[in-house]
Amino acid sequence: MAEETLASLSVFFSPICSSHFVPWKLDAPFLSLPLRTQFSASAESQKPQLKKAPEFPILEKQNWLIHLHYIRKDYEACKAVIKEQLQETQGLCEYAIYVQALIFRLEGNIQESLELFQTCAVLSPQCADNLKQVARSLFLLGKHKAAIEVYSEAAKLNQKDWEICHNLGVCYIYLKQFNKAQDQLHNALHLNRHDLTYIMLGKIHLLEGDLDKAIEIYKKAVEFSPENTELLTTLGLLYLQLGIYQKAFEHLGNALTYDPTNYKAILAAGSMMQTHGDFDVALTKYRVVACAVPESPPLWNNIGMCFFGKKKYVAAISCLKRANYLAPFDWKILYNLGLVHLTMQQYASAFHFLSAAINFQPKMGELYMLLAVALTNLEDIENAKRAYAEAVRLDKCNPLVNLNYAVLLYNQGEKRAALTQYQEMEKKVNLLKDSSSLEFDSEMVEMAQKLGAALQVGEALVWTKPVKDPKSKHRSSSGSKAASVPQPLGSNQALGQAMSSAAAYRKLPSGAGGTSQLTKPPSLPLEPEPTEEAHPTEASAQIREK
Amino acid sequence: MAAASSSDSEGDRAESSEASSKWLDAHYDPMANIHTFSACLVLADLHGDGEYKLAVGDLGPSGRQPCLKVLKGPTVLAESALPALPAAAAAFLMGQHEPRTPALALASGPCVYVYKNLRPYFKFSLPQLPPNPLEQDLWNQAKEDQIDHLTLKEMLEGIREKAEVPLSVQSLRFLQLELSEMEAFVNQHKSKPIKRQAVITTMTTLKKNMADEDAMSCLVLGTENKELLVLDPEAFTILAKMSLPGVPVFLEVSGQFDVAFRLAAACRNGNIYILRRDCKRPKYCIELSTQPVGLVLAHKVLVVGSTQDNLHGFTHKGKRLWTVHMPAAILTMNLLEQRSRGLQAVMAGLANGEVRIYHDKALLNVIRTPDAVTSLCFGRYGREDNTLIVTTRGGGLIIKILKRTAVFAEGAGEVGPPPAQAMKLNVPRKTRLYVDQTLREREAGTAMHRTFQTDLYLLRLRAARAYVRALESSLNPVSATAREPLKLHAVVQGLGPTFKLTLHLQNTSTARPILGLLVCFLYNEVLYALPRAFFKVPLLVPGLNYPLETFVESLSDKGISDIIKVQPAQACGK
Repeated sequence: MAEETLASLSVFFSPICSSHFVPWKLDAPFLSLPLRTQFSASAESQKPQLKKAPEFPILEKQNWLIHLHYIRKDYEACKAVIKEQLQETQGLCEYAIYVQALIFRLEGNIQESLELFQTCAVLSPQCADNLKQVARSLFLLGKHKAAIEVYSEAAKLNQKDWEICHNLGVCYIYLKQFNKAQDQLHNALHLNRHDLTYIMLGKIHLLEGDLDKAIEIYKKAVEFSPENTELLTTLGLLYLQLGIYQKAFEHLGNALTYDPTNYKAILAAGSMMQTHGDFDVALTKYRVVACAVPESPPLWNNIGMCFFGKKKYVAAISCLKRANYLAPFDWKILYNLGLVHLTMQQYASAFHFLSAAINFQPKMGELYMLLAVALTNLEDIENAKRAYAEAVRLDKCNPLVNLNYAVLLYNQGEKRAALTQYQEMEKKVNLLKDSSSLEFDSEMVEMAQKLGAALQVGEALVWTKPVKDPKSKHRSSSGSKAASVPQPLGSNQALGQAMSSAAAYRKLPSGAGGTSQLTKPPSLPLEPEPTEEAHPTEASAQIREK
Repeated sequence: MAAASSSDSEGDRAESSEASSKWLDAHYDPMANIHTFSACLVLADLHGDGEYKLAVGDLGPSGRQPCLKVLKGPTVLAESALPALPAAAAAFLMGQHEPRTPALALASGPCVYVYKNLRPYFKFSLPQLPPNPLEQDLWNQAKEDQIDHLTLKEMLEGIREKAEVPLSVQSLRFLQLELSEMEAFVNQHKSKPIKRQAVITTMTTLKKNMADEDAMSCLVLGTENKELLVLDPEAFTILAKMSLPGVPVFLEVSGQFDVAFRLAAACRNGNIYILRRDCKRPKYCIELSTQPVGLVLAHKVLVVGSTQDNLHGFTHKGKRLWTVHMPAAILTMNLLEQRSRGLQAVMAGLANGEVRIYHDKALLNVIRTPDAVTSLCFGRYGREDNTLIVTTRGGGLIIKILKRTAVFAEGAGEVGPPPAQAMKLNVPRKTRLYVDQTLREREAGTAMHRTFQTDLYLLRLRAARAYVRALESSLNPVSATAREPLKLHAVVQGLGPTFKLTLHLQNTSTARPILGLLVCFLYNEVLYALPRAFFKVPLLVPGLNYPLETFVESLSDKGISDIIKVQPAQACGK
């Protein structure tokens, strides 16, 4: 009796494979347990019917195995199990189809994945997850409107899913409906807070050009997840853009503490070090990036400008040329190349780099000024004047442009025109003094005073602020270089305002709001206005005239 | 043995000096043929003789020959085939009475097979799930032939659309059938009761009422129908049933069933749910937004590995404490418990063949293995307290023993600046020639610039001249009027005397189609013959390329060639 009960048990309760079950029976009978009677009773009553119809396999038999293979990224094994499972269940196993679709999507076959997810949605229409995946595939195919429809459908089935809200928000971002996107993202945050939602919300504010709100969002995000290096870096960069250097450095430093190889943070922090003249420290940091991302144009630009700051001009040119090779259409690199070549007195080369830069960025006064300096040295006075005229037209606040122009005019004997430019310069200087507390370059002040004397406008009172000693050694050295050249009046002018290397990698305000900002390797958004050269200069090029 | 291990560890030192000081290489068999997951590895004193064995629920080389292997030391002690793939294995004490030999439980399909003394002892099957009452009704009606097949199909589809309780396999199959097959299917199956059977996805143990190491434990099962079941260790009745919003994949338990316990279940929807005693529904929820690949509870911190190669630490209330990034994909995780020193650490087996050991977020140790690690297990093996069992993707088995003197110190892993910081920058060198050129430019920059400018002007001049010449000789066809922007380009194919002349016409305007265009050929009639010297062109849609073909026959046998002019023209009189 016991034997027979067991036999029926094994048939009834192991539909998977009854033949394997024999050893159980032979080795040892199961203990008599309270369950047994119940089993055998039900088994007995169904025994005759069982023999008639074939048993159906359990649909979900190997779901766990499929899932384990899937999360371990062993897709080959996973596909094998899926195939087996689908054959056995005649394509009814929903989870197998679901994972197959996920794998298709990972392999880039988004259309196929979409079709399979739709099959899943047919097999179990009440499941929000299937709809979510359909929408996700639609989203990846760029059909944002369709994705929104499906997500909304899914949202009806599952009200409390942050993921649906988040993804709806992202879809709306792509459709440029920022208000709706914000609503959805806030909903998502309300349901459950995730770093990704904060990032997207911040991105909307950036797209709308609202830096302050973006900073607010990122601040909250950092509070919520203080170790997320991406959040820390972005916040640091935003502060940098607003010129709040202390906070920027703090956040970038935090990011580097958690991930000492963070490319974005290193580049940003390095550029700040460069601004302060810590070229060696910056170079040490850049080594890490050079190892991780050896083909980054901003990196080689910054390294080049570090060498420039250290007066290793040949190395600087090498690095800048590599940067230029990697990003031939980047005008900032060309600008720096022009600047270094001016310093090296290679005016012909400087002319080429500067005119190339102007082709890409025709709206920047400083570029024309540098071009004019190069042209002056190439003894093409006519074109130099035209370049200065353009520079003066474009530039709104850099007194150097007018000063240099005035010097050129004075040397050409056009005293009246020179005087006009000199007065222009005074206006700009006054304006700058009112608005900010920055110091003027000593060399520039000296030159302005000399010119003022020559033009007989007297010692101009604009330079009331005592000019402090330049911070960096470099600047003082450039001053000494100026002194070494015999200088009849006007022969040796403070001139090219070399941008600090960091500043040279600023982004234009339009670029800062671009969609690409989060994905692109970061150039460093430093200041909102590129024309506002608010930094003390570090290097200066010189003009030698006859 | 001692000599062998010391030489092994020397070889190891070359790889990582840190690892060699802590572990003895006891055994390595790359061909052990063990393919399994961490959940199917159990270290237990299965015979009650103080000699701990390793029980492995093996999937078989291609996942087709499941078997239970029991290893003692490096050798396989026993091997027996299993009816289905094992999802999880656990050792647990079933009762209080002596001898206290733990039983081995293997979860597979809808059943748990319990072995005692390595002999089959009991099989527990999950209870049938209640079928959908409506579905049951329909089949009952079908049984009595009160309902025709099409109505049955429609009704079942209606249930599938709306109902909470999913349909049985029988109904789903029926819905797939063609009209002609329905009759036979219904006749064959109508008398059968409809059934829904759950499958076990994961299993773990939970102490029943005492925290001692050799106390009775309950089995905790996670099932495909999103439930957690706690089984009584003696009677195998269901003590508690909890439902989850997702299908559980990994389970972690702490506490005792009769007193208080916490259950963490990582689910397929990417969430981790934390349940407590006396609550049927999850108390806390951790949303990972990726799939968890492992779950370990160490010193009350819930450590989760994610598919994005991160380890996260959470409190038992679901608050995130820290995140550590791994250098490669995490394949498996398990707990390392060194009882003598009261240490609980997390081991993570990575795809790059490393086993990383973390205490909270501090890296304690890295072990390198020759292949990707598929499962990990740490505990007493044989008579050695701290043994690490590692299996690799190719089916290899590695057994390492933790030295008794070994102390895991925090900060033994990576600290300080990244190694890349010490590497020299690869600054391109400049040649002597470059320097010479630089000097030359300084001296004669102005002359160079002037020469360049002159040459540039000359170049521009020549380009302009060439362009004018091309225009004049009509080598490059240009549209005469701006109103019909056309691009024409002709290709001659063939060896003669018959050639094929293909004209490619393209309307280059942005929006306007071109209507009523004519094409005529101007040629020397002595030399060539064309079927038609003149034809109409169909409407030209902007942007599309229209290839028009015609044949040209060369009449001369002297090999003379001439020009054929093609002239598109607007039809007049409109």
